[in-house]
Amino acid sequence: MNKKVYLGMSGGVDSSVSAILLKEQGYDVTGVYMKNWSKDLPGMKCPWAEDLADAKRVAVGLDLDFEVWDFEEEYKKRVVDYMLAEFQKGRTPNPDVMCNEQIKFKLFYERAMERGADYIATGHYARVGSNLEGDFKKNDNTLSEPQFLLRAKDENKDQTYFLYRMSDQATAKTIFPVGNYTKPEIKQLATNHGLDVANKKESMGVCFVGEVGMKDFLREYLDTSPGEIRELETNQVLGYHDGAIFYTIGQRHGLYIGGGLPYYVVQKDLDRNLVYVSRNLNHESLWADELKIEDLHLRNGLTVAELTKITNLKVRLRHRAPLISASLVGEMKDSSVLSFNSPVKRPASGQSAVLYSGDICLGGGIIAK
Amino acid sequence: MRILWYNKDMIYLDHAAATPVTQKALDAMLPYFTELFFNPSAPYLPAKHVREAYERAKDDIAHVIGAKGADLVITSGATESINLAFTASHGKVLVPTTEHAAVLEAAKNRNHGLINVDKTGLIQLDDLRSQLTDEVDLISVSLANNELGTIQPLAEVAEIVRTVRQNRLERGITMPLFLHTDASQALNLIEISVARLGVDLLTLNAAKCGGPKGVGALYVAHGIKLHPISFGGGQERGLRSGTENVPGVIGFATAATESKKHLAGNRKKYQEMSNYLRQVIKNPTETHSDAPIVAQNSEKVKHNLNSPTKSTQNSPAHSIPEPIFLGNPKKQLANFVPVCFPGLDAERLVYKLEAEGIFVSTGAACAANKGTKSHVLAAIGLSDEEIAGSLRISLGSTNTQDQIMNVAPKIVEIVRNEYIRLAERSLK
Repeated sequence: MNKKVYLGMSGGVDSSVSAILLKEQGYDVTGVYMKNWSKDLPGMKCPWAEDLADAKRVAVGLDLDFEVWDFEEEYKKRVVDYMLAEFQKGRTPNPDVMCNEQIKFKLFYERAMERGADYIATGHYARVGSNLEGDFKKNDNTLSEPQFLLRAKDENKDQTYFLYRMSDQATAKTIFPVGNYTKPEIKQLATNHGLDVANKKESMGVCFVGEVGMKDFLREYLDTSPGEIRELETNQVLGYHDGAIFYTIGQRHGLYIGGGLPYYVVQKDLDRNLVYVSRNLNHESLWADELKIEDLHLRNGLTVAELTKITNLKVRLRHRAPLISASLVGEMKDSSVLSFNSPVKRPASGQSAVLYSGDICLGGGIIAK
Repeated sequence: MRILWYNKDMIYLDHAAATPVTQKALDAMLPYFTELFFNPSAPYLPAKHVREAYERAKDDIAHVIGAKGADLVITSGATESINLAFTASHGKVLVPTTEHAAVLEAAKNRNHGLINVDKTGLIQLDDLRSQLTDEVDLISVSLANNELGTIQPLAEVAEIVRTVRQNRLERGITMPLFLHTDASQALNLIEISVARLGVDLLTLNAAKCGGPKGVGALYVAHGIKLHPISFGGGQERGLRSGTENVPGVIGFATAATESKKHLAGNRKKYQEMSNYLRQVIKNPTETHSDAPIVAQNSEKVKHNLNSPTKSTQNSPAHSIPEPIFLGNPKKQLANFVPVCFPGLDAERLVYKLEAEGIFVSTGAACAANKGTKSHVLAAIGLSDEEIAGSLRISLGSTNTQDQIMNVAPKIVEIVRNEYIRLAERSLK
């Protein structure tokens, strides 16, 4: 009998083409729309109903079973509330990382397995495999056939940055049908199959993700009040902001102050609702030769001790940012320090640092303050 | 009547959601976008001519329902007309549970009561009588329902209203009682006369009868005081301020006049087509000897039925349940074929048919788009499963007999394949 796959379908081109590819490969596919969020926000219509219709249209066109799984309550609890709490602490969390860990590769995975799935699948650009092209070799494999999370063929689209926290168990049971294709190839396949979604705008996951959306979203859920923007060096008031939590260290756009050289956010005082800026691009808060990493999630049974010995360790500090060389120092259980050869532009705390050896995603952690 | 239709191969079966603007209406409208663009309130002669054309158009719309142009308030569509009509009420309003969202939501903003319907969607007059207390000053009952096509007994409702008014008068109670009907869905299928219907307020919508979207009208009987919901330059008797939508009203008038002219012929045509559709959907294996083209198509269907490609020895074909036709067969708009395929997911049917160039809907377009289940089908007592399996087919000006003969076996085949898919799924 054909292997049974539950495919998360968002109505976007990647998961739609995934459905086509899985069906062509002979899997018994059930399409699932995960309903995570449906609320409209001021100035922003949540497109969930349209996305659902797009997903269903594709599934029905391929004669697949199709279901809607409602995770709204859990999504609110596990992703949104976490996100809001992080912002309130002055950090900049990544809801996609959390959604993948907690919803797609946990709740969705578990429910699919309960339903008798052999595999789950999503439209992410990533790969799963045991074929090691990097030089990371683990000596004491606990898994008989280790399934590694691998970077996508299309380096420009690789989404492992968002996936590094998915569990090993889920990884071993996951198919990423588009991971061996480039985005242009996927678009071409969609066009060849006459999919209406071939030229659909890139899915933002949920409506409030995206630069504008996030601010509107936070305004809806958090109490914010205007405060002063001060120049760090002079303590002079340069302008006003609409809530310090909206600002990220290193940010230079959206400050609406001064002409001339740009100002950068270099410090925030949440207690006094103050945002400090500087024109000094070399200010120490903008750069780092080391980053403290918390809440490490290491994949495939890797230990911190083993990680410190990896010589070709690479790290990605933002989605689509280049891989940079780094080494892990310190062996504390819940926090470690990443050290770089030359200073890097400091990522916002709450974002992720994701570790690689060759194509293999080793895991990662959350950047501390 | 020539229909502007961008692809002749497509078969549109959702006229209850929208109708294409007729060629005549479009031709009549076009000059008023360009050379006759003048503001009808402006003082110079060309503007005066536009004003005259506008008023004539209002008269034309009014004549279709046996009223005068001065009795109409032009609005942006049925929703606004309904909301405006509801400003007549200062007491309590009564509406049936199956009304369009515009009516239900307008009612929910006020002191209101919901009147039950029977399982065909007909208003239960006893329930209406029992809820008609002295605080009620407005009853709103659609002329025909937008999901079922059920035609309400408006004359009987009007009779009840008259009796209650008389009774209130005798008891010295000054509370007025008005009757509003939303006739959006019915203008091109039912002869409408405000006098014969006995209504005080009546809502019309251009977009459902070959006119443009964004234009509607509210008929207001003499002596009813409404309150504006937006304020400005005092147009439309002060009830609907804003520069007049001249081209829209011209298009509305042309379409409404046209549909009245062809009403009897169209109704007969739609009735034949919907009867045929029902017959094929209900008895897919029977041949229909009255029309040779029909018989051929049915043979093809029969062949498909007897040798389903994917079926196993345990052929599920015999276990396919009969479709349930919804609404009231005796009191239904001629163009409506609302049908439930028990156990199926009607949205899948929509997409399967769409792939064949056939466009149908699962219910009211607004509800379908929100992923919420139809309140109308729930109100007539359908289970959630039955609601999920319900399609709304609504015929209209774009349809020909050939199209319907072509479409009927396709629907049957798609429905059958879905049942087979389900049966195979459950065997696994």
